[in-house]
Amino acid sequence: MLCEKCKKNEAVVFYKETVNGKTKSMALCEKCAREAEDAGEIKGMSGGFFEDTFAGVNSIFGSLFGLPQYHQKAIGETEKCTLCGATFDDLVREGKAGCPECYKTFSDELSGTIAKIHGTTSHTGNAPARFRAGREKKRQIASLEAELKEAVASEEYEKAAELRDRLKELKSDAEKDGE
Amino acid sequence: MLWFEMNGKDSDVVVSSRVRLARNLADYPFGDRLNEPSAKEIIEKVKGVFDGKDDYKFTDFASLDKISRSAEAARHKVSPEFAASDSPRALIESDSKNTYIMVLEEDHIRIQSVKPGFALEEALDAAFEADGMIDSALRVAYDEKLGYLTHCPTNLGTGMRASVMMFLPALTYAGGMRSLQNGLGKIGLTIRGMDGEGSNADGCLYQISNQVTLGTSEDEIVSKLSKIVENIEEQERTLRKKLKEDARFEDRVMRAYGTMLYATLIDTNELTKLYADVRLGVSLGLIENVTTRQLDEMLVCGMSGVLMSEAENVRTPAQRDRARADMIRKKLAK
Ligand SMILES: [Zn+2]
Ligand SMILES: [Zn+2]
Repeated sequence: MLCEKCKKNEAVVFYKETVNGKTKSMALCEKCAREAEDAGEIKGMSGGFFEDTFAGVNSIFGSLFGLPQYHQKAIGETEKCTLCGATFDDLVREGKAGCPECYKTFSDELSGTIAKIHGTTSHTGNAPARFRAGREKKRQIASLEAELKEAVASEEYEKAAELRDRLKELKSDAEKDGE
Repeated sequence: MLWFEMNGKDSDVVVSSRVRLARNLADYPFGDRLNEPSAKEIIEKVKGVFDGKDDYKFTDFASLDKISRSAEAARHKVSPEFAASDSPRALIESDSKNTYIMVLEEDHIRIQSVKPGFALEEALDAAFEADGMIDSALRVAYDEKLGYLTHCPTNLGTGMRASVMMFLPALTYAGGMRSLQNGLGKIGLTIRGMDGEGSNADGCLYQISNQVTLGTSEDEIVSKLSKIVENIEEQERTLRKKLKEDARFEDRVMRAYGTMLYATLIDTNELTKLYADVRLGVSLGLIENVTTRQLDEMLVCGMSGVLMSEAENVRTPAQRDRARADMIRKKLAK
């Protein structure tokens, strides 16, 4: 069998990859296989059996991203990300964000796509320490506010005043934390 | 020690467990938009986090030769994509924790921990340890609504992929993979075949992982995947008992073992098939004195990149086939 790429040398590398039932296969000579590996067209010949789980979903995403309903901005109002300079067109073309800031810059345009991929747009897992404190404060504020409401309703004014003071303190703290 | 040098839980069905966390620094662009000075800055910053920590070793990955790089991919320390590129990148590894941190893969930082056998929680703990060290020293990109911000939006939220590599020969032979695949797809899990090298290579290895990363916590991802893995384990073990009663099957296993013991030229395609047959024979008690750990090690060490990095004079495919057969015999003699 001849190499599919150069059609000159004997094929010695038979590459097969299956992602969610779709199989991609190639028969290549050693030289072309190396070139294909270097170009990233096929997974490393030696690392192939432990594929990158991230890779498969990315290609699906590329097409999702380009869906026209998420991509309607009149010509002339091309907004650019302040950190990386990418436009939304760049994101669509690349299928990926240009920098972390892009998610803020293009949040409206992206929210539909993100919801489509994950079924939601709200994170519920871990957070960096600098956000964990804020999260905890928010939770405390919410519970104090509920307590305050109850105290007022049951006319426990002394308790209500005390709660109000603690809330004020917490809220000013939370503002100081905000970056 | 590397995952394949250690014994793991449920190793008759689960080869390894892995957790990967994608992290990025808030003030730098991703991928092609990152220029070389900034790339080097990121490497220095992440390196700084682990400086002086004896457990973690730094390697300037771009300075390694191609063979060593592909060998590290075969050992599952880094992804094949990470190994293939020549642009600035680094690996920070902790042998004792089975943690490998790729700096400048698709994301600025990808922390992964690979444990032998069924050990997702341990892998998550190890990955979180490194994550905590990075978090306390660097400003990691995060949004209160979207979670950890990643290059590709498919990884937003937890930035986490948990995956389990399963050895499923009985399910494969029984034709059960198609329906398993459909079932997993419906509940947000992905299954990938591990064909890799060689034509029709069938090591009966499958990687099962979570697809969705946003809106579900790290613990939820692990517990959901764990439940499914336990379920598949049960199915596989039940089917294996039936295989054991088949005389033709015993013959197939013993022939494969014989080949491993005496053949002098073995290519990767053949190794993968032998691996599947002998591994199944071991787990059914048909072959004694060989462990699944030895076989997993054999499969990794039989990859071309590892063979070339560990011995000289294995440049041509024929030389590699000989070296591979030698390695197999040596590992079995142990
Ligand atoms: Zn060719
Ligand atoms: Zn940007």
